[in-house]
Amino acid sequence: MGVTSTLLRRVPLLLAAGLVASAPLLLFVGSANANNLNPPPTTRKNAGTPNSTIVVKNKAGVVIKYGNKYITYKAPSSKLDTLGRALFLENCASCHGTEADGVPANGTSGAYPDLVGLGPATIDFWIDSGRMPAKDLAAVEAPRRVPALTPAQAVAIAAWVNSLSASYPDIPTPHLKNANVAEGAALYALNCAACHTIEGDGDALAESTFSPSLRHIPAFQVVEAIRTGPANMPRFTGNLSDQQVSDITKYVTTEIEHPNNPGGLGLGGLGPVAEGFVGLLIGLGLLMLICYWIGDRS
Amino acid sequence: MSDAAATNKRAQRQAQGRYGMIGKTLNELDDRLGIAKGGRTFMDKIFPDHWSFMLGEIALYSFVIIMVTGVFLTFYFIPSSALVTYHGSYLPLDGQKVTQAFSSTVNISFAVRGGLLMRQMHHWSCDIFVGAIVVHMARVFFTGAFRKPRELNWTIGLTLLILAIGNGFFGYSLPDDLVSGTGIRIAYSIMESIPFVGTYMAFFIFGGNFPGTSTIPRFFILHVLILPLVILGLLGAHLFLLVRQKHTQFPGRGRTEKNVVGSPMFPVFMAKTTGFLFIVSGITALLGAFAQVNPIWQFGPYDAARISYAVQPDWYMGFLDGALRIFPSWSFMAFGHTIPLEVTIPAVIFPGIIFNIAYLWPMLERKFTKDNEIHHLLDRPSDRPKRTAAGVTVLVMLSMLHIASSTDVIANFFHLSLNAVLWGMRILTVILPIVAYPLTYKLCKELQGVRGAGKRKTPNIVSRTAEGAYVATPTPAYGEDVGHELEATPVPAYIESEPEEPLESGVRTVDR
Repeated sequence: MGVTSTLLRRVPLLLAAGLVASAPLLLFVGSANANNLNPPPTTRKNAGTPNSTIVVKNKAGVVIKYGNKYITYKAPSSKLDTLGRALFLENCASCHGTEADGVPANGTSGAYPDLVGLGPATIDFWIDSGRMPAKDLAAVEAPRRVPALTPAQAVAIAAWVNSLSASYPDIPTPHLKNANVAEGAALYALNCAACHTIEGDGDALAESTFSPSLRHIPAFQVVEAIRTGPANMPRFTGNLSDQQVSDITKYVTTEIEHPNNPGGLGLGGLGPVAEGFVGLLIGLGLLMLICYWIGDRS
Repeated sequence: MSDAAATNKRAQRQAQGRYGMIGKTLNELDDRLGIAKGGRTFMDKIFPDHWSFMLGEIALYSFVIIMVTGVFLTFYFIPSSALVTYHGSYLPLDGQKVTQAFSSTVNISFAVRGGLLMRQMHHWSCDIFVGAIVVHMARVFFTGAFRKPRELNWTIGLTLLILAIGNGFFGYSLPDDLVSGTGIRIAYSIMESIPFVGTYMAFFIFGGNFPGTSTIPRFFILHVLILPLVILGLLGAHLFLLVRQKHTQFPGRGRTEKNVVGSPMFPVFMAKTTGFLFIVSGITALLGAFAQVNPIWQFGPYDAARISYAVQPDWYMGFLDGALRIFPSWSFMAFGHTIPLEVTIPAVIFPGIIFNIAYLWPMLERKFTKDNEIHHLLDRPSDRPKRTAAGVTVLVMLSMLHIASSTDVIANFFHLSLNAVLWGMRILTVILPIVAYPLTYKLCKELQGVRGAGKRKTPNIVSRTAEGAYVATPTPAYGEDVGHELEATPVPAYIESEPEEPLESGVRTVDR
């Protein structure tokens, strides 16, 4: 006899009490049902702009220039096709194939994607930002670097790929004097900051992919990225008007590039991580050293 | 000056007594208020001179700076969630609908003279404040200063730490910017994850669902009135107990359980500590002037639809954020509710366990060591290997969690895979504390075995004998390192009969 046997005798009582106490929980069984909230599938060729006031067609009736007072999109001249094909064969065909229709890599289709029908802005963006031709074929991502081809060569390659199947968006030219930087700041926080961070420094995404820093990027490339959605980035088409895209572009190329940012050293835009380091190591560390200096040490 | 005038002055001085004008004033005050007895005790309060006893002072003076700068900020801050259209000097926000809290904080930064400096000093001194509490607490823990009779003061100190963290969070939330709004959202979810009562508690504390309009005014009154009052009260109790129970001290140089060796409050410590107040405020001011902190104008106003990546809380909340980040996503649906173990365990149960162990530690140690004696002499950390190892283990674990709160920043900075960093932190958070305990224990044991550890080394004299053999003869220990009794400076009973202070030493020994 003792504590153990007293406890043992009370086991049935405890069990009964537990059952009674948990009975109300049974009322909730089965009322849970997760909704399927998959986004609608996006198509590949719907990247045009719905609100153009300027539309210029060529003799064949193909739209070669469109847009409005915020952004104009211009198709590359078909005179560049021959040059573009030569450049493509020289720089791109080893991966994307001689007809730009992609090559499955190691049995995985899509590793070297089909470029036909992507639109000149896409081709121009990848080449002009230095991501293509890729330097490291094994890498998950092709990071931004110094371009291997000149802007004119990029346009020529875009012209040839476009000649295979004319598609949109064409290469944009933003007119930032009509843009509103405050609108851009709000739209940036809503649409871009989730990956590029609110200060535009970029950060690590899942599995060795990175959202790049938005500093030192030409305005037309910002528009190209928003309109074409390179790599992991979503493609913003119908949900942002040309006016809104130009607002964001103005914010990125003025305020993120040259922020009105008083208060001393910016600490690399790393936010509270860097602040914690400075506060603890420099602030508290210095004070502790002074303690050690003015205090007794034995 | 004529002879008559000089005589007159001398006569005046004699009439004022030995201590001049100040002494006369104090005498008058003593006649009315009886301050001499208490004042004498206070001025004779002995402070040990060891540098580690000043860590708490960093916290104390940071708190003073926080109060002063905080009062300044309340003159300009508007604690309201009412929407206004911003038309200020920061162009990218012009015309945006923002809350008054946000708009007034941006105005403090851009329009109020000295406002940005005050804001940044307030923020930096808060970071230093909590950090100083932590290192002060580590000193108290590792040297065993919390032992009987000081358990109550340990409890008060720990409560002060929790209140400081809480008030830091409230203050961080007040500007209603994008980053802090995200923090409130997480805090709301943590509260909701408490079983059964979570939703009700969240509604009660935040005044409704999130995002709501009552959060900012409530946090404001908590931040500027209620918590500071509680902190101030507990700080008073902390210091009162410190004076009442007298300081602990490290052993050696004539120090015993029966005395306290150090400098008296007046004049030595008072001069030193006032200087230190200026040093703390000076360094805080330098940080406030030259290092940017929390640039809310860049973050923009909070809006539930907006989010920024690379967002962390202030450093003292980092361990919670890190725990949330690395914990596996264990959550399931049962009984019509989401059971969010992925939030409850790292953000409610884990800190609950850590802080409760900290509260109970003095009791636990008394129980396990069966040591119920009164202790005024401190331990060397290496002499208490189990306690030291346990403390290091918890500190290592919290540090790993703290680092884990910046997985994305680490991945981006070193260009690593985010998933690899996440898994690395998961493994390190479990492995390193397990390694830390035996390692620290062994290290302490080794240090105990080192003869003369903690004492200065004396040179060995190596000489060669006539036969050609070498003999090393150790020289005697330094005088200061050999234990001896100090001559205590007598403390007088009455002010009037006080003898002249000995000029050569400020050191005094008083009985407890």
